[in-house]
Amino acid sequence: MLITFRNVSRYYNDWPALENINLQVEQGEFLVVSGPSGAGKTSLFRHIWMGDLPSKGLVEVAGYSSDRIRKNDLPFLRRKLGIVFQDFRLLPERTVFDNVALPLQVTGTSTKAIRRRVFSLLAEMELNHRRSSYPHELSGGDQQRVAIARAMVSHPVILLADEPTGNLDPEVSRIVIDLLIDINRSGTAVILATHDPRQVPAGTAKFIYLDRGHLVNPNFWDGYRQL
Amino acid sequence: MIHLLKNAINEGLLNIRGKLGSFLITILMVSLSFMVFDIFLIISWNLGTVLKNEQENVGIEVFLSDNITEIESVNLADIISGMEGVRSVYFVSPEEAEAVFRADLPEQADLLTLLGPQFHLPPSIQISLQPDYRTSEKVGGLARSVSGMDGVEDIVYGKEYLPGLTRAVDILEKLVVLAGLVLALSLSLVVANTVRLAVTRRALAVQIMSIVGAPGWFVRVPFLGEGLLTGTAGSAGSLLLTVAVSWMLSPSVPHEFLPGKWIMLVLILGASSGAAGSWIGMKSGIPKPRS
Ligand SMILES: Nc1ncnc2c1ncn2[C@@H]1O[C@H](COP(=O)(O)OP(=O)(O)OP(=O)(O)O)[C@@H](O)[C@H]1O
Ligand SMILES: [Mg+2]
Repeated sequence: MLITFRNVSRYYNDWPALENINLQVEQGEFLVVSGPSGAGKTSLFRHIWMGDLPSKGLVEVAGYSSDRIRKNDLPFLRRKLGIVFQDFRLLPERTVFDNVALPLQVTGTSTKAIRRRVFSLLAEMELNHRRSSYPHELSGGDQQRVAIARAMVSHPVILLADEPTGNLDPEVSRIVIDLLIDINRSGTAVILATHDPRQVPAGTAKFIYLDRGHLVNPNFWDGYRQL
Repeated sequence: MIHLLKNAINEGLLNIRGKLGSFLITILMVSLSFMVFDIFLIISWNLGTVLKNEQENVGIEVFLSDNITEIESVNLADIISGMEGVRSVYFVSPEEAEAVFRADLPEQADLLTLLGPQFHLPPSIQISLQPDYRTSEKVGGLARSVSGMDGVEDIVYGKEYLPGLTRAVDILEKLVVLAGLVLALSLSLVVANTVRLAVTRRALAVQIMSIVGAPGWFVRVPFLGEGLLTGTAGSAGSLLLTVAVSWMLSPSVPHEFLPGKWIMLVLILGASSGAAGSWIGMKSGIPKPRS
């Protein structure tokens, strides 16, 4: 099992962001997490990359466990993950090439290997002609695709995408979602947080719903009105 | 590993490149405040040298009574030379004293002639001391026991001058240590503040690096380097400025510049307070991995 949540609760000053969550994600799975604003989607993600630890319960990710992980282990856990945000979070003073190369640069990969990997990835994603551009020169869709390239450059086993289409129009969102589906087909587990689960075709993914920190059964869930 | 270190240094340069102007101003500020310290050091170093030279010359001059015989004075000199702390004694006869007087003060030589042949300078014994006896207390003690001896008329040594100088150098040394501490503290705080600003300015880069798996030290090295560089360049700059001032003043105020060891001390103080400042700045700036 790649990810296990066992009775996980997280309180911020007594306010439950996550409440008794049980969850498992397997190798190569596609998981869609939806729910209204403030439901706890981002909190759930933060527990996966262990930027936060549970108040109660246990999180296990790629062999690291929340009750035993040490500060020095965090970089090694995160090298197995790729993370994409709603607001892209590209570094503005670096070119597309350097943004995508960053995860390799901070882990001591040789310059030659970095060039080889980044060029082939940019070519694959049809971003090669943009490699010398700066983020602000790109459209939102291209910025998000660069962010996805950065997340994928070191071959993660899990890709976490937290509302990656939140700032994009429907057409571009379509392209980004298709890209995530492609990535999943090539074997990477993908976890996508979205307000609109209908973006992902049924059958491609497993769907879960969060409401005020609780996992809810979609069949009895009346939250669709809010989506 | 080499690649990683090289990349960390590049990150540091990237940090500084975006704010070269304010970086240089900070270094200048550090240099100017370090200059005060350097000047303190120079004064204390030079006074210390003067004191040391004075102490080399510290001796006791024992004036003997006029009617003492040659044999008595030689005996007295023998006794004194056997006392603790005395390195050597030298007997100065009235004739020799007169010759020295004439040589040292040729304009006053007429005075002796005027006083006539029946006047002559008193014979004396000059005592030079062992190095560890060249402090005001020990000289005083020795002088007191010699002054009680038969045939001793008067005794002269630098009792007025020495304790004052020793105390001045003492106080100055304490002031230098105090100035050094104040300076180290203020430099640390200045660097802590600029590093905290740098961390805030680069919050996104810090977050992204830690999220893509950069080791903790990789995130910290650029900021540590910035503090180290500010401290070292600042103290080196202060030394350059002080050399210039020292050179301009040397015709009117003769003095020596700091010796190599003290220059190293200034640089080490600069570098370590810079590094300490970075560390403080990062502690308050970089979020804990769990928050
Ligand atoms: N660091 C924090 N300190 C205090 N409260 C927090 C913190 N992080 C999250 N919360 C609270 O926890 C709840 C869940 O927040 P979270 O960001 O996980 O929701 P979300 O589902 O991602 O919402 P959105 O769709 O708006 O992104 C919210 O009520 C939020 O205010
Ligand atoms: Mg969120």
